[in-house]
Amino acid sequence: MTTPTAIPAGKAVPPPRPSRLWVRAGWTAVLLVVLAAFWRVNIDWSQLSDFVPSLFHYLRLMFCPPAWSQTSAAFSATILSVQMAWIGSILGILISFPLSFLAARNVVPVWVRLPVRLVLAILRAVPEVVIAILILSVTGLTAWTGALALGIGSIGTLGKWGYESFESVSGGPLEAARATGGSRLAVIRWGLWPQAQPEVLAFWLYRFEISVRSSAILGLIGAGGIGKMLSDNTQYQNWNVVGILLIVVVVVTMIIDQISAVLRQRLITGRWALVGYGARRKALTPTGLA
Amino acid sequence: MTDRRPGTAGDPQIVFDGVGVTYPNGYRGLSDISLTIPAGQMVGVVGLSGAGKSTFVRTINGLVTATEGSLTVNGRDVTTARGKQLRAVRSDIGMVFQGFNLTGRTTVLNNVLMGRLYSAPWWRTLLGAWKSDDVELAMDALTRVEIVQKAYTRASELSGGQQQRVGIARALAQQPSIILADEPVASLDPPTSHVVMEHLRRINGELGVTVITNLHFLDLARKYSDRLLGLRGGHVVFDGTGADADETVFESIYGRSLTGEDVLDATPNLETS
Repeated sequence: MTTPTAIPAGKAVPPPRPSRLWVRAGWTAVLLVVLAAFWRVNIDWSQLSDFVPSLFHYLRLMFCPPAWSQTSAAFSATILSVQMAWIGSILGILISFPLSFLAARNVVPVWVRLPVRLVLAILRAVPEVVIAILILSVTGLTAWTGALALGIGSIGTLGKWGYESFESVSGGPLEAARATGGSRLAVIRWGLWPQAQPEVLAFWLYRFEISVRSSAILGLIGAGGIGKMLSDNTQYQNWNVVGILLIVVVVVTMIIDQISAVLRQRLITGRWALVGYGARRKALTPTGLA
Repeated sequence: MTDRRPGTAGDPQIVFDGVGVTYPNGYRGLSDISLTIPAGQMVGVVGLSGAGKSTFVRTINGLVTATEGSLTVNGRDVTTARGKQLRAVRSDIGMVFQGFNLTGRTTVLNNVLMGRLYSAPWWRTLLGAWKSDDVELAMDALTRVEIVQKAYTRASELSGGQQQRVGIARALAQQPSIILADEPVASLDPPTSHVVMEHLRRINGELGVTVITNLHFLDLARKYSDRLLGLRGGHVVFDGTGADADETVFESIYGRSLTGEDVLDATPNLETS
């Protein structure tokens, strides 16, 4: 409704370019860190030339042909690993869920959330393998140890993702819930939770995906499942068994990743779509005609 | 819909007595407001941005606490109310927002059921196990704003005008005696604005709910109010009917003469409203 101001005639005078000193300093620092990383690692470049031929050698041992007879054993070991990841995820969710509320800025005062955040940060800093080794002495070398380690290991990340989603909700619905006369609990349940819920559920699924992959590593230290079978057969150089194990692990992990990705997509967007198809194509064609 | 308005139309319902608001950062939001709003009145509040319109409506349900004077709503003192008492006051006052303040990712029905948060027991609200009476009330409210067919749609899939009608339904589901509307049409186009304002006027006329609406546009405020309040710098500078609001009144509210930016419908003419 305002009449546009007339553009004065004459040469445009752009503002001076802002200093790029900090950008340059940043990239120099990255370069120094990369160079420093090579120091003391003692890379033997001659080994690298042997790498490709020996890789093919072992690939042939593993896959020409793989030990098909071990397929069902490999499957049952993989399923044990997935169960380990599943139970671990449920444990992690049950414990991290209340903690993420107790760590959110818009839910609790600072003296509550700081200690909770500290606990979550410490849990995040400890790798699952280390947790497993620590609790081995109590629970022994079982799949339960693996599940427990995955559960404890996921509390830290799940808790952080949780409180970050709670803190990113918009204040409007919270104010609306308060304005209806809702209690604190009601405001959290109906103002905050519905906004954060799709993301939080998606994080739970994503964490399960990660745990499926970690469960194989936990098996290496003897916590059962696919990892144990893998390390045993590597030790005895049964390369064709290792081959079938790798095939089964990769196939099962990919299937779980895909199912989980489709579910996460549904949670976030509210629509069913094959990940990488529907949503992406829509974004690329703003008119929505293609 | 059942009507639980205390008192009858015309009884003093909202009483401001020397109310002032100073924000914690020292900003004066409102100064020395003394006025009475009777039950069943349709009030339009106009003024520039920062004149105190939002603060004014938010003191009524205690979202902003009055720091001076006293404010009673339906006989209850809002300024001193805390906790459960304050929630009781709020439960009787519905609120409609400029940005709708719906939760886009959940259904329209769930958004409207939020209007029942005060009356439902805590475990029902926690589990979302609403009584069928509450669901019926929510559906009634949606029917009243003519959007009940969208009850199970995600709120984010609705247009702005539809979302604001859901916002009104949420306020109605409280069975309030008062509805506060803070710039309810500021994010909507002109035709949609009129639809939303018509709904508010119908609720006022048919249910006898007191409606207090902040509006940026003077013509809209004149058309949809029994009484016009003009705010400037936190003071009430005009209190009268739309017909009384002439060019001099306008200048006292806006500090300048009327332009096309102050009316919703194209021609800046006070007489056409």
